[in-house]
Amino acid sequence: MSGEYASTLVTDEATLGERVASTTIGLGLLVFVLSVLAVARVVTEEASVLGIGLYDFLAGGLLAMGLGVGVVGVGSALGRVATTPDETPGTVTAGAFGLIAAAVVWLSTAQIGAFGPLGGVPAGLLAGAVTFVGLGLLPEDLGSTLPTVAVAVAVSGAVLTNLLTPAWLWDPEWLSAGFSGSMTIPVLLAVAALLTAWAGAKAYGGYGSEGRQAGAYLLVALNALGMLAVLLAIILFIVTKGVAPAFEGFSLSPFDWPFVLNGYSFRPDVVNGVFPAIVGTIYLVVGATLTGVPVAVAAAVFLTEYAEQGPFVGAVEIATNGLWSTPSVVYGLFGYAFLVPRLGGTTSLLSGMLVLGFMLMPLCLITSREAIKAVPDEYRDASAALGVSQWETVKSVVVPAAMPGIVTGVILGVGRIAGETAPILLVMSGGLRDDAPNVLGSFEFTSAPPFVANDALLQSSPALPYQLYATITSGVSAENAVEYGWGTAFVLLVVVLSFYAVGIATRMYFRRRLNYE
Amino acid sequence: MLGSSSLEAIPRLDRRTDLSREAAAMLAVLSVSLLGTFVLFLLNDLLAVVPLVAFLAAVGYGWVTQQDVTARVLSLIATASTIAILGLITVFIFYRAVPAFRLMGARLFGFTDPVTVLGVSLPAVETFWSTGSNTYSLVPMIWGTLVTTAIAMVIAGPLGIAGALFLAEIAPPMVREVVKPGVEILAGIPSIVYGYLGFVTLNTFLFEHLRMSNLGSLFLVGLVIGLMALPTVVSVADDALTSVPASMRDGSAAMGATEWQTTKSITLPAALSGVSAAVLLGIGRAIGETMAATVIIGHSQQLPQPLADVFASTETLTSLIASQYGNADGGHMSALFAAGVVLFVTVLVLSIGARRVELRMERKLGGEP
Repeated sequence: MSGEYASTLVTDEATLGERVASTTIGLGLLVFVLSVLAVARVVTEEASVLGIGLYDFLAGGLLAMGLGVGVVGVGSALGRVATTPDETPGTVTAGAFGLIAAAVVWLSTAQIGAFGPLGGVPAGLLAGAVTFVGLGLLPEDLGSTLPTVAVAVAVSGAVLTNLLTPAWLWDPEWLSAGFSGSMTIPVLLAVAALLTAWAGAKAYGGYGSEGRQAGAYLLVALNALGMLAVLLAIILFIVTKGVAPAFEGFSLSPFDWPFVLNGYSFRPDVVNGVFPAIVGTIYLVVGATLTGVPVAVAAAVFLTEYAEQGPFVGAVEIATNGLWSTPSVVYGLFGYAFLVPRLGGTTSLLSGMLVLGFMLMPLCLITSREAIKAVPDEYRDASAALGVSQWETVKSVVVPAAMPGIVTGVILGVGRIAGETAPILLVMSGGLRDDAPNVLGSFEFTSAPPFVANDALLQSSPALPYQLYATITSGVSAENAVEYGWGTAFVLLVVVLSFYAVGIATRMYFRRRLNYE
Repeated sequence: MLGSSSLEAIPRLDRRTDLSREAAAMLAVLSVSLLGTFVLFLLNDLLAVVPLVAFLAAVGYGWVTQQDVTARVLSLIATASTIAILGLITVFIFYRAVPAFRLMGARLFGFTDPVTVLGVSLPAVETFWSTGSNTYSLVPMIWGTLVTTAIAMVIAGPLGIAGALFLAEIAPPMVREVVKPGVEILAGIPSIVYGYLGFVTLNTFLFEHLRMSNLGSLFLVGLVIGLMALPTVVSVADDALTSVPASMRDGSAAMGATEWQTTKSITLPAALSGVSAAVLLGIGRAIGETMAATVIIGHSQQLPQPLADVFASTETLTSLIASQYGNADGGHMSALFAAGVVLFVTVLVLSIGARRVELRMERKLGGEP
């Protein structure tokens, strides 16, 4: 995409400035990644690269980057490097460095401890303002280079001259945390490397609007990459922790999967499993779907096909938005105050189903409405032209055409409620147990109202998310409680994410089919 | 309850379908039995089953004989019950919170030292939260919710918008096709899983490496909630950005602007309503997030000393409810419902505000062809 608008017409070979700048960026990425790993303590200060201690190595890299950026920036100001700088570095750059200056001055006064935690704020603000205005007076190449060089030299200098060592400690009295050198140094290095790489990218683009684009794209792409990396790392972490306990004693022939097929028996010789919780989750999801989906779809049909757009529709829209944004724990409170006393007075599977059904409603209503709205009016007109009643049109034309959208919404909604813990914490709260709830087998007819009884529905039932919570609040006394929890988390993750994957795949399938028709 | 337009809808219905006497009778049975079921259920009477059976029978009969009228009425009932459920939630949360308001009055929001706001001084409480002396002030929890939400949004807001910019404007189609559904799937990781991760791993990590004096800090809760809200913000903001018409971008490119200038000055401002709605949605999620906070936080119903200490353990409104409902009764339980009221009202105001912003911007942009 970016090639379409590139304005550099003659690009025979990279200039010296571009080469220095791109080396700076590459070095910056290396320093940044290693620093982040050091913050996460994946690598520590004991590690060494090329025989140099990790922090010294990173500081050296930062210093080289700073010098590289400085060379290109000064070269540009002297006219030795061909660039197209603007007259000022811009508010974003000046503001960023102003903030840094303010933070540095404030933290140093707080570190000296002369004025208390907030006493240094005026001095910090003053320093920030001076930096901001001062940078605004410089041309762009100097204005975005000099402060970067200052930051890079200051940080790397502090590390290289052992002003900041891993043993250094800042333990302010007004915070319950202390910052050791081994955590502070990599954080500072990462921030400085990011700043310098940004300045390097601007230099690479030759400053001006092209340079700003290069700088912004570097940061935005890095952010996206970092975000995905963190989120994937979370999933991978849970999987690596959870696979071993979840597959303990697994065999293919004869087929046996104790963790999934066993209950929680409190016996040391049997693998404790999550079967009752899986069955409970299935019942919950089925019950919630039966409660929520028909109501939501019917309401969506009424609002789009029958109702006139007026205050009534407005009220429903506010109600839907309200229901959609209501925190799940408030649903739990509502169930606790309203449903539980009316359904036998104890926490029960039925209350859980109803509360989750209420949670499912707004999401299904919104997605179903969108799907029904998206059905072209030609379909309705063609049906009406055949003399069919409005309901026949809705039943045999509109709803079938909107079905893909409705189904996708339902699957995504089900995925969401399958992992909900807070509401069932208050209205269901089933603990660890050995046998699965038997809802289908415990229907009975009675002579007194309500004439139908189902013990299993009116009792608490285990469910995967609640079971994980129970593991944390030490419902498990066994010694492998943590492994059991990771196993449960893994199974829960697989269940919920597969709902989402199926939902999204369905949507993509139907969207693609629509587009190619 | 149904508003004026639906009352007008009944005669229209009559006119169009030429409502027969049979259908009218069925409608009468339907509405009376449903109302009966609802009232009896509200009064906690098991006989609610009787009108429910009558209702189901009437629906079954109507479906066979008068399908179109029945379908229309059923869908109207479904719509009305959506409003009814929100109404019930509101009524019951408030109803159960009333004793706490009676007991504490303005001191529900009272500090240990009297505070004067605009010349009106709030009465002080001796301790913030004590079941022994029946004192329940929500101030520490409100502060905790505020701080965790702020930290979460500092993470999820800018990073989320930048992520959406990447997906919508920079990423090549191949990358986008893979990453966009991936982000949506990530939004589905249940909060209790994040909570477990935070409880087992991150809590001890921060305790060791930041030399904390306590487990379960507001900082960590904010961090985890921010991570949780991130995929939602990215996904919604990306939808807003991609819905900006391509002609606007082309116009900017034709003027010789770079892609980044187009993004910064055309696409982002045009999609601002959707993007801010995404951030507001994220804030709502962060405020209402329960399990991660409950599992990670240290549960002490006190304000951090000093207030700026984000590494102290306090309590959030949600974690208060989730951790204390089990052994609460009377005034204590009612105070938890008061916490629910504060949560509910805050999030409702936020969501209606977001909707307003969106509608106004839609009208503004929609004026152009």
